Amino acid sequence: MTKFVIRRLLWTIPVLLLVILFTFLLMRQIKGNPFRKTERAVPASIQANLDRKFHLDEPWYEQYGNYVKGVFTADLGPSLVLRNQNVNDIVRSHFPVSLELGAYAFLFAIVVGIPLGVLAALRANKPSDYIAMLVANAGFAVPSFLVATLLIYYFAVKWDVGVPTSGWTTWQSKVLPSIALGFFPMAYFARLVRGTMLETLQQDYVRTAKAKGLRPQRVVGLHVLRNSLIPVVTAAGPLLGAVITGSFIIETIFAIPGIGRYYVSSVSARDYSVTMGLTILYAVIVIFGNLVVDILYGFLDPRTREART
Amino acid sequence: MALLEVSDLRTYFSTREGEVRAVDGVSFEVESGKTLSIVGESGCGKSVTALSIMGLIPKPPARIVSGSIVFEGRDLTQLRDRELENLRGHEIAMIFQDPMTSLNPTLTIGTQITETLRRHLGMSKGEASRRAVELLEEVRIPRAKNRLDDYPHRYSGGMRQRVMIAIALSCNPKLLIADEPTTALDVTVQAGILDLLEELREEHQTAVILITHDMGVVAEAADDVVVMYAGQVVEQASTVELFDNPEHPYTEALLGALPSLEGEGGRDARLASIPGRPPDLLDPPPACRFAPRCPHANLGDYCTVEPPELRELRPGHWVRSAHPTSERAAVAV
Amino acid sequence: MVLNPQQEEFRERAMTRERGGGVEAGAPVRQTSLWRDAWYRYRANRAAVVAGVLFIVLLLYCILVPIFSPHDPYAVDFSEAYLSPSLSHPFGTDQYGRDLFTRTALGGRISIGIGFAATIAIMVIGIVYGAISGFVGGRVDNGMMRFLDALYGLPYLPFAIIVTQLFRTVDFWVMVIALTIASWFTAARVVRGQIISLKENDYVRAAKAVGARWHRVLSRHLLPNTLGVLIVFVFLELPGVILGEAFLSFIGLGINPPKASWGSLAQDGRDVYLAHPSMILIPSIAIAWLILCAFFIADGLRDALDPRTRET
Repeated sequence: MTKFVIRRLLWTIPVLLLVILFTFLLMRQIKGNPFRKTERAVPASIQANLDRKFHLDEPWYEQYGNYVKGVFTADLGPSLVLRNQNVNDIVRSHFPVSLELGAYAFLFAIVVGIPLGVLAALRANKPSDYIAMLVANAGFAVPSFLVATLLIYYFAVKWDVGVPTSGWTTWQSKVLPSIALGFFPMAYFARLVRGTMLETLQQDYVRTAKAKGLRPQRVVGLHVLRNSLIPVVTAAGPLLGAVITGSFIIETIFAIPGIGRYYVSSVSARDYSVTMGLTILYAVIVIFGNLVVDILYGFLDPRTREART
Repeated sequence: MALLEVSDLRTYFSTREGEVRAVDGVSFEVESGKTLSIVGESGCGKSVTALSIMGLIPKPPARIVSGSIVFEGRDLTQLRDRELENLRGHEIAMIFQDPMTSLNPTLTIGTQITETLRRHLGMSKGEASRRAVELLEEVRIPRAKNRLDDYPHRYSGGMRQRVMIAIALSCNPKLLIADEPTTALDVTVQAGILDLLEELREEHQTAVILITHDMGVVAEAADDVVVMYAGQVVEQASTVELFDNPEHPYTEALLGALPSLEGEGGRDARLASIPGRPPDLLDPPPACRFAPRCPHANLGDYCTVEPPELRELRPGHWVRSAHPTSERAAVAV
Repeated sequence: MVLNPQQEEFRERAMTRERGGGVEAGAPVRQTSLWRDAWYRYRANRAAVVAGVLFIVLLLYCILVPIFSPHDPYAVDFSEAYLSPSLSHPFGTDQYGRDLFTRTALGGRISIGIGFAATIAIMVIGIVYGAISGFVGGRVDNGMMRFLDALYGLPYLPFAIIVTQLFRTVDFWVMVIALTIASWFTAARVVRGQIISLKENDYVRAAKAVGARWHRVLSRHLLPNTLGVLIVFVFLELPGVILGEAFLSFIGLGINPPKASWGSLAQDGRDVYLAHPSMILIPSIAIAWLILCAFFIADGLRDALDPRTRET
């Protein structure tokens, strides 16, 4: 089992390098030196200094080498546009916010989505199933910016339940953004759980459990649920990654000082190092999420444990 | 009084195309300590009959339309779900056809045995585990103590079926329903399972309903036989009597379809099969359901117009046919 | 068993009933092709049929309205700004006085166009990559799959954003390329999985054992099955791509004005939604409409084409 974990961990290194390479090459292709974009024409000598400070004039493979070294020593370099700020600083001060937002959103998704799916499966084709799936499908199809604006419009403005329209300070301010961000994963979970449970309910071993005279709570709670949740866990990893890396929409609407907003503005401003640094951070999160899921899966499904070593 | 009395059971399925009459008027009795075999082609309703007894038919599309299932004096069709749950696994147990999928792959064998013991007999964890080991030994699983914590995928098909038997017999049920227990297994393993069932039956005096489509299994294991076709009972007798004097043309055909090394033509004889297919149970033939495939049915015979009743040709031997063997022989003379 | 003429006649009579009579061995059974079967099954699924109809309605809306609309979608007329919905402006107007009914239809052309173009591109790349990997197998397959695993670590939207920035302006094809590059991995995996499972499949082996030539195997066996999966796949990928485009446009990194997609229309409405909610509501509803239709169609197609999967 540990062999499996170590092997997977080792595989993340080349993956990471590849990711860095990709983003790096892509960023290099972007023509447009950020410094030449400012209104005031930068004198040539100062330009050269800036180039040297940020290594912009060195051949690309040297830049790359430096950068990789930087990543692995957790030094993502300075921002190219914002003076006096390192990418690390930006990350340190704003990433926790995005992480918190993502965590709350995910929590909402699990706490609401999974029971919804279970309910729908157990009452399949009855009215409660249709209603549950209506909600789930709505959450699935409606883009999060609409969910966010609707939430703000009704709860913060029209009915004024005491939640602000923006910001990330008091606990009240964290409610709407978390729900808005968590709505899609909630719908995803609800649909997924319903599907897996319906499938599991058809399985022979469920019939056996019933034939043994076990109480329905046990049949569903243990036999059915445990097997149904395995695919859900598998999906949860990448989903968490998607939530965190897709938070910039919600951050923009609610004016939340997370890294998502910085990401967007850094792209517009052609701030190489911030964009790259944040992309790599995102990649690390996604890779990590996938890794955790793979490991969890090994624990949950005993059949795969031996096959995986 | 018999342990189990099924009277005129009818179980129908509501489908988009209409109502499928899977079990359409089935009656039989099972005595304590004896084995009754229900035999017939796929789709004749034998499994649905078994599931109806257990109350395991899927309630939305299926329902027991009429009839009674009296077990030890109580009509199972009138019981509430909770009461049925108490009976299942405790007084009446069932094992299924495919051992590969009948056990939960994510729970240990031990858990799957002990949960029944703890549910019905109220045992503690320790007691249940010890009893589970005993049960595994009874069904001849080697090194039982170590294998309690194994997962099903570590067991072979034959072993899994043994575990299923162990689970079924764990609470000493009065009736065991075995739905094609050996169909999915190799022939050699099959013999072992049947032997085991017979031994355990002897020891615990359990009544057994053995469902199969294999006449060979019937000959070996059953005391009495019920032959089903298209949702109805077409012949019913003791095993010896049925094999010696089959009456219904369908039974004759089933027996005739057994490959035999002796007889006409010896090894080169063609395998006899029954031409045609079983009728669609959405809209079964109005008269005798076997008539379209019956070599003895003639145009204008009353059996193509009126459904034949189940009648007792000889004591203990019931047939639903207008052309039972003994009557044909009499006419021919 | 030899039957006398009487019995033969009886047999025939019994057989001519549609149901009920058991069928004589050798009697012709009505043959239906896979596709016709699938069509019937699809039609039986009410949700899928409704979704299909609504989808076509949406497509017609986007194609026809700009052709027949009396309004110029690009004309700026501030006196007409922010009008409420009326007969001549069913959706009202935007901040520049442009008719939203027409603009939404135009936006639809772009959004749906990008959606289909990207999905097809994804499919093509996925098929090529997956087919090579699946057919060749062995170490090549292994390597290609490892590479794919690595690419999974690339976050979807950020990656698409970066790709869009490679180009001077973000237009239709740039979006297609960006979204394709960011999400072709799943397609490749699916295709490869299909090819591998089909290669191993018993009926392919059986066909070969009977001596069927490889192209017959391909066209008669492999292709029809894979085709079904791919068609379902198109309708499953569509929502992801369309949402991706919508999100990017919403934050301003997407299609540049004056060309509009649903996402950028929503962006127009973002700052004023408190006063004029329809500007953000309408394109969002259009997106949701499309996604819901795509999902139910995909579900219906999946059930129709694979007779084995069954949902209660």
